[in-house]
Amino acid sequence: MEYAVETFSLTKVFSDWWGRGKVYAVDDLNLKVCHNEVFGLLGPNGSGKTTTLKMLLGLLHPTKGKSLCLGGDATDPKISARVGFLPEESYLYRYLNARETLDFYGRLFRLDRQVRRMRIEALLDMVGLKAVANRPVGTFSKGMARRIGLAQALINDPDLLILDEPTTGLDPIGTRQIKDLIIKLAKRGKTVLLCSHLLADVEDVCDRIAILYGGRIQAEGEVARLLQQENKRQITTDAISDEAIVKIERILQEEQAEFHINSPMHKLETFFIDTVVTAQRQSRRTSGAVSTTKIGDFLAKETVSDNILDRLTSAATTEATTAGSPVGAESSPDETIAPKPDDGLLGRLSEPTVQTDAGDANQTAETKPVETETLPAEGPVREDILDELTGRSKPQSEEDNHGDGAKAGESDNA
Amino acid sequence: MRRIWAVAVNTIRQALRMKVAFIFILLLVVLLPVMALTTTGDDTLKGKLQTFVSYGLSLTSLLLCLLTVIISVHTLTSDMKYRQIYTVITKPIRRFEFLLGKLLGVVLLGAVLLVVFSVLIYAIVVYTPRYFNPSQAEIIQAQNEFFTARKALSPPDPDVSKEVAQALKGLVESGDIDQVYGGMSNEEIIRELTVLQTAAKRSADAGQELLWEFENVRLQDPNGSLFIRFKYEQVSVTPADSQIYSRWLIGDYRAYKYGIPGDVRLYPVQRKDPIKTFREIEVPGSVVADDGYVAVLFLNDQSNGASVMFPLGEGIQLLYKADTFTANFIRANLVILCRLIFLASLGILASTFLSFPVAILGCVAVFAIATVNEFVVESFYYIDSLDMTIVYAYTLKWLIRLLPQFDKVNPSRYLVPGELLSWSALGFVVLSLICIKAFLLMILGLIIFSFRELARIIV
Repeated sequence: MEYAVETFSLTKVFSDWWGRGKVYAVDDLNLKVCHNEVFGLLGPNGSGKTTTLKMLLGLLHPTKGKSLCLGGDATDPKISARVGFLPEESYLYRYLNARETLDFYGRLFRLDRQVRRMRIEALLDMVGLKAVANRPVGTFSKGMARRIGLAQALINDPDLLILDEPTTGLDPIGTRQIKDLIIKLAKRGKTVLLCSHLLADVEDVCDRIAILYGGRIQAEGEVARLLQQENKRQITTDAISDEAIVKIERILQEEQAEFHINSPMHKLETFFIDTVVTAQRQSRRTSGAVSTTKIGDFLAKETVSDNILDRLTSAATTEATTAGSPVGAESSPDETIAPKPDDGLLGRLSEPTVQTDAGDANQTAETKPVETETLPAEGPVREDILDELTGRSKPQSEEDNHGDGAKAGESDNA
Repeated sequence: MRRIWAVAVNTIRQALRMKVAFIFILLLVVLLPVMALTTTGDDTLKGKLQTFVSYGLSLTSLLLCLLTVIISVHTLTSDMKYRQIYTVITKPIRRFEFLLGKLLGVVLLGAVLLVVFSVLIYAIVVYTPRYFNPSQAEIIQAQNEFFTARKALSPPDPDVSKEVAQALKGLVESGDIDQVYGGMSNEEIIRELTVLQTAAKRSADAGQELLWEFENVRLQDPNGSLFIRFKYEQVSVTPADSQIYSRWLIGDYRAYKYGIPGDVRLYPVQRKDPIKTFREIEVPGSVVADDGYVAVLFLNDQSNGASVMFPLGEGIQLLYKADTFTANFIRANLVILCRLIFLASLGILASTFLSFPVAILGCVAVFAIATVNEFVVESFYYIDSLDMTIVYAYTLKWLIRLLPQFDKVNPSRYLVPGELLSWSALGFVVLSLICIKAFLLMILGLIIFSFRELARIIV
């Protein structure tokens, strides 16, 4: 099993009922996605991206050739138990609410009630839909449905995640979150195959890409290598003095190189998120999806073990390492495992909440009961583990975030 | 199994939350009590009960059958139309598990609703006698003829081959055969003559008598009653008051007929009955001989001045209690459940390759034909006489045979006259409807669904 996804001259021909009007949707495709790689399938509309994914998943039969997912047929339950799939649109049962939707998919994976409940809460938290978890999915906006679709694809903590245009319909923060999630999953050794025509998304997360046109691969390779302009150099500095610029110009003229000097623009994404951060500082609530930076704990953990003993021991060790931590009275053993955004930019999104948490005692009291309400009544040790797995340690993790950066880095690398 | 269950639960949720089931439930909840209050029948308690059970059970069966068809077709076609199936089937669930889950959900919902409404009907039926305060005679009549499960024995068809041969010979000799049966094959003429001659054996002129002998009559309770159920038809001259006077003798007739010495216990009855209506004579069970023999002798009173005939089939029957009403009622509902299971399989098969409107149309057509299948089969019988035999014998005939025959075992036909719906009759329904037909439909559906490209859009 050398590759996570492999296709052998995969071909799909669509024809009408009489067998006329042949369209080569996918033509002799040999795709190889390595393990632990984020692979992007790019192409304009109708280039065969979705058809390829559907054939990988057994939703369409190839006209010729074959495909392997994780070394086997994706329709084999043993394989599909390790695959997560987000289709091009979130096709959900409109009459189920968000929680029931995730519960239904969790049952299809034969997850135990305990595990199911933990993961559902963690995922709802992560996609920011906890507040609307009891509303029928049919009433959701496109972006909200997309978030549930994503949660649905992650409920089995898949080894291979197949995402068909994951960011369509999502706001920039949601987009950013998905990108962070993909990076995080890759760090944990998962494989992600995504197809998109939103180039910026692909550029940020993919290790390798293939560009499809007319059902054939037109270009393939590592993103860095494909995009690197070997004949150009870029230097970014702090705001330096005009004299320094003159000096540099002189040096460049000696090199006889063409050059432009200007102040770099902000990326719109950065600007947008900054704006939302400011808005969040001012008002505390929104009626839509709550944008968070969280990533479901069970997805962020380095190893997922269903062995309760493992969980107990891991809980014990984390407790030991954080025992002396000066974070405060609320400190709990889960903080090192609690999710940490990779990016400083998104991290700022959490800051206002932390500040109000620290400053406004009322609000802490407001959120706390809601969280403890869902706590299963069990022994103290188990409670800790449940906390750890369901990510009920929001305040701590955020404090951790801006307070103890060094330690966050440590656990990230661990 | 857990995955099948998950799909089943989701199917039930879909049916309930999409309000498809709701309309049917509402209809039944409203109509059944209204029906209970408004039905009168022939103004006796028995008539009231019979009418209510007949309409109530038929309505429940009809609505639940339609509901089952709609849900079973809707659940799968909508999953495919709205493509939820993409996210479901790519989970570790086999396609057959998915289909079985759908089937289980539809059947379970149908079964639960059936239980609810049959309990409602049962409760109404049981409480009706208290509510209407009928006379003692009416209560006894209802007990004997409605709150019971009676086995019905029809007399064996007499051997008429001799008479038929004679009649045929007579026709040929007189040369009338072409005039009367022109264009018919020999076989058909014999068939027609057999019917005529059998009917002749069941008719009596004024002053004539008819004798039927029954064997293996085993009463559950030897002190219980025996009932003779009959209907007069084709009276040559309709009497002024449409009443026929008759005398009956019931008991061990062998002593007279064959000279076998025995304890002669012939029970005499004098009657005056209207024509073209089913009537019943109650006789003490002691008239049955120890070996289960009993004879019924009918005498057409001279004063009628007209011949009477007992129609073929159920024209004359011997009835005796063989089981309780409750057990019969439960079996009747199990027959309905069998129909639901069949229709659910049919709907799921249809929706594996058809779109919603086409599948619905097909299933409703099958349901309609199934309800009157005996009639359809019978009418095809007459096509035989035209020269289309070959075309039809190998095509339509088998297709029609493959369709279920809901009317063959019709629950209200048993419950209304308090007739025993035996375990063997129920077994026949289970075997033919579920073990064979529904099973084949599901197998076919599973095959089609397993090989189908689910993401293929068919326009």
